[in-house]
Amino acid sequence: MRKWLRPAVGVLGFAMLVVGAWFGLVKAPPDREMGDVYRIIYVHVPCFWMAFLAVTLNFACSALYLIKGSWKLDALAESSAEVGVLFGATGLTLGSIWARPTWGVWWTWDPRLTTAAIMLVSYAGYLALRRFVEDPERRAVWSAVVAIIAFADVPIIWYSVQWWKSQHQIQSSPKTVDPQMVFALRWNALAMLALLIFFIWSRYRIALRDRQQEVALPDALPPARTTPVQASGALK
Amino acid sequence: MRSTAVAQVGRKRPIVPRLFTETVLILGKDLILEWRTRTRLNALIFFSFATLLMFSFALGPDTKLLKENAGGYFWLAILFSSVLALGESFRIERENASLDGLRLVPIDAKAIFLGKALGNALLLVLLGILLLPVMVALYGVTVAMGIGRLFAVLALGSMAISWPGTVYSAIASNARARDVLLPLLLFPLVLPALLAAVKATGLVLHGDPMLQLGSWLGLLIAFNLIYWALGLALFPQVIED
Amino acid sequence: MKAAILPLLLLAQTVSDPASRVGSGRIQGGWEYVWACYAIAWGAIILYTFSLWLRRPDRE
Repeated sequence: MRKWLRPAVGVLGFAMLVVGAWFGLVKAPPDREMGDVYRIIYVHVPCFWMAFLAVTLNFACSALYLIKGSWKLDALAESSAEVGVLFGATGLTLGSIWARPTWGVWWTWDPRLTTAAIMLVSYAGYLALRRFVEDPERRAVWSAVVAIIAFADVPIIWYSVQWWKSQHQIQSSPKTVDPQMVFALRWNALAMLALLIFFIWSRYRIALRDRQQEVALPDALPPARTTPVQASGALK
Repeated sequence: MRSTAVAQVGRKRPIVPRLFTETVLILGKDLILEWRTRTRLNALIFFSFATLLMFSFALGPDTKLLKENAGGYFWLAILFSSVLALGESFRIERENASLDGLRLVPIDAKAIFLGKALGNALLLVLLGILLLPVMVALYGVTVAMGIGRLFAVLALGSMAISWPGTVYSAIASNARARDVLLPLLLFPLVLPALLAAVKATGLVLHGDPMLQLGSWLGLLIAFNLIYWALGLALFPQVIED
Repeated sequence: MKAAILPLLLLAQTVSDPASRVGSGRIQGGWEYVWACYAIAWGAIILYTFSLWLRRPDRE
């Protein structure tokens, strides 16, 4: 019954994104100061919001994994990290492109951009670690440790970059007062949220399948297809 | 190995907590090993010297620029050396399976963490002390705010690299591409600590008219506390089997 | 400083009169950046969806 739910969420996300693009590009009025260039906000900001959600999910799963130790948590941690890196890298690229016409440079040591860049490297390191460790149990424990440490660093990085940067000018973001702008932003954010859920869910299934192939215990994970699950075959 | 120090006290409850004793034992073991194989230490020292020299050449002969940024070059030299030092500290354990031996003794995993991390930090502090005269000579700086403060920054910065570095070293030494994995994981993490250490060092070297040193030291201390605590909590999970 | 009435009036006029909804900001144009960004965002999303599909667990 629930087999259709995941693809449905994906389709919904794509559809909403198309509509959201129309809202953002056509319906919403131009900005007072930035003209039409500001419309990048409708893809740039939701990307970062989604990256943040994904990374938070990764932290929660990692912490819970160290407490409870279930393969599902490990798989979810892996998926949320990968999707988080995707949205984060995209958001960062978009931010850089946006900076060009508005601030005149491809890069600036803006606290948010800098923190995002550092976090991207952090979580790319997390993904690299997962790739470089063969044993599934150790991989799960070690990546959970790394994830917790990386996440704990985020406020510290943010704070210190702010401090460092406060010696220079601080650029402001556009003030989106217009309700149409707010609506378009929220709509696009919801669209991206649907896509986030779809991505993480799909990636999670892939991760579980990988775990199953690696671990293959007698009471293994139930296969992706709907064959009967043994009494002792329930997931830990 | 564990009970001698405690038994010598001759009471039921030791005056000195066991964790402390074990930490000192681990630290002592590593220091003795280091001293016996001084070649590694020498190589590390010359590597950090070479790095400082490289910066002079890479960044041109503009002495004013070199002088202003001396703190940055100093800490980069220490950071690069730390990658080598940290990598080594678990390589010996892994190669001889001595980590398994340690865990079987049984020594508290927290003691292993504290001992190793302090050992690494000590090594970095030593490197820093040796680099100081080189820095003064190459970049023409003077220590405006006194050696004491400089030493405090050095100690705090070295520990800040060492707490997470030890955890990551234990992980990376067992993974593939371990030489790349350690810096990849460590560098983004210690960036705030590096920033604070560089800023603080710069202020100590050049003077602090706007009294900013306190806030950077505060950041360093906070970083140290957080990662000391996290390391203590998470390291046992890392080496557990 | 930003609460000037005049820009709000301009904005209101822009919203109510679709014909005048043409680059009324200080930065004119810049649509190529907007297209580039939307293309990259969409491209990333589509490519990742494709990558997920390639790795899907249901294939036998």
